[in-house]
Amino acid sequence: MKNKNKNKTGNSLLKVSTVWLVLIIAIVGVFLLSVMLGSSRLSLEQIFNVFLGKGTKSEYAIVMTLRVPRAVLAIIVGGCLSVAGSLLQAVMKNPLADPGSIGVSAGASTAAITILLLFPNLTYSVPLFAFAGAALACVLIYLMAWKGGVDPVRIILSGVAINSVLGGYNAFLQLQNSDNLQGVLSFMNGSFSGSMWQEVKVMGIYAVVGLVASFACIKNANALQLGDEMAKNLGVRVNLSRIALSAVSAFLAAATVSQVGMIGFVGLVAPHISRMLVGSDYKVLLPTSLLTGSAMVLLADTVGRSVWPGTEIPVGVMMSVFGGPFFLYMLRKRGNFNGA
Amino acid sequence: MELKANDLQIGYGEHVVVDDMNLNIMRDKITTIIGPNGSGKSTVLKAVTRLIKYQKGNVILNGQNILSMKPKELARTIGVLPQLHSAPSDFRVKELVSYGRMPYQKAFSGKSAEDERIVQWAMEATGTWQFRDKSIYEISGGESQRVWIATVLAQKPEILFLDEPTTYLDISHQLETMNLVKKLNRETGIGVVMVLHDITQAMEVSDHVIVIKNGRKYAEGKPEDVITSKMMWDVYNVECDIVPMPGREKPLIAFKQIV
Repeated sequence: MKNKNKNKTGNSLLKVSTVWLVLIIAIVGVFLLSVMLGSSRLSLEQIFNVFLGKGTKSEYAIVMTLRVPRAVLAIIVGGCLSVAGSLLQAVMKNPLADPGSIGVSAGASTAAITILLLFPNLTYSVPLFAFAGAALACVLIYLMAWKGGVDPVRIILSGVAINSVLGGYNAFLQLQNSDNLQGVLSFMNGSFSGSMWQEVKVMGIYAVVGLVASFACIKNANALQLGDEMAKNLGVRVNLSRIALSAVSAFLAAATVSQVGMIGFVGLVAPHISRMLVGSDYKVLLPTSLLTGSAMVLLADTVGRSVWPGTEIPVGVMMSVFGGPFFLYMLRKRGNFNGA
Repeated sequence: MELKANDLQIGYGEHVVVDDMNLNIMRDKITTIIGPNGSGKSTVLKAVTRLIKYQKGNVILNGQNILSMKPKELARTIGVLPQLHSAPSDFRVKELVSYGRMPYQKAFSGKSAEDERIVQWAMEATGTWQFRDKSIYEISGGESQRVWIATVLAQKPEILFLDEPTTYLDISHQLETMNLVKKLNRETGIGVVMVLHDITQAMEVSDHVIVIKNGRKYAEGKPEDVITSKMMWDVYNVECDIVPMPGREKPLIAFKQIV
């Protein structure tokens, strides 16, 4: 009712392709910028020379072993987090849902903090434990929320409870080891610092698996938007769909947390920006979210590491500080919030 | 095509809402379930369409227990319009109706030519085709109700279940919806089962009326046989006269309390 006289209904093919094209151009543009910028600046020409195999050895090293893998990782991680958030908003029918609300961040950080502070000799396996911790926290929240089915409100409330318990534990551990928090801090404020092709490869595999599964969920995500009973009437297994969508979302988010640490806000903001751009049909929304998330995280990382020479602002910090105002701007300017 | 419910008991834990419910829904007919608030009439409709679970008894659709049917198979045989439904404000009318074809599609399959044809048919049958490109929030309440009926109709069900389809509508949209239901039943032979609050409407449009009181069936039969002043007193605690009206097929209900 609130959008009575808008004419933004539906999507023409033209509008969607324009949005996608703009996002892709933005990603390519920022990608090139991120490869150019850094302690030693490179020109576009130098970069293309490297790509064509004509650059010098040191140029090659900077571009191909430092900057390109980092930028590629940012693109993958941003896309995964954003898709994870989009799916979860369909599960919860709640615009505030993001992977943090089903325990992904709290579970991963509990595991990571425990390892880093209590079992430092296992530090190399933090990704593995973080992933397992995230998965365990999600399962726990869903088990607690289960009562003949999974009701979104119960998920959110049991998520709040479990997050609070884990948060308390994490705070306690950190207070007890306050002189030894370097590793914990860098995990809690996710960053791409020092990313190599190895991380790209691992994250790439996670991403392909998770994204294919996400795209298989599109119809169910759409049907959930029509209300549970309507979805059931259309032959959708509502409980199973909620669990499957949550599992895919948790998988994508847990994968990113395990590889690069916690990056907040992307899973919340990128899907909403996408919704404002193309509407609520997941067929269009999910690919748009993917692109928006990639563009946002790549931009945040590029700015974060080049705006203040000599210092790197972690991408997690950048996202929180600049994502919020940008989101508010979008919210006020567009005004057509198509609730989740 | 027929749907039978045998000795249905529906409830939550210890709390039994509906008990001993036997129903025999005939094809091609309009069946209306009436009863006071909280009598369990919507509960019955939800249980026989598998939107909620029942504790005892069974529901047999075309000789098959509905619990043994796949969700999509059920959705191709019966269509339910629940009382509560929603759609994102940017959905276009035609897009929404297209969801009615979900039971016929696989995860990655797009719309077939047949899907397109049936969506158009469902929208023309409900008179919604002309505003196919509008947002569902740009049309009136009555039009929106017709769009939702079109969505369920696009499932090509043999029986259409409507849970209080007129409750939130003004009188002209109520009549519009009732006329549509009657027209669909007469022209396409689709069976209709609906829950109604309005006894007058139940009298006018139904072939068969089921009265539910306190979770049990009080009476059933032809509307003029079932809707009597005795039933109205027993079930609703309302005094009224059922008055034959020259020139009308069905009698009128004249309430006495209104002074």
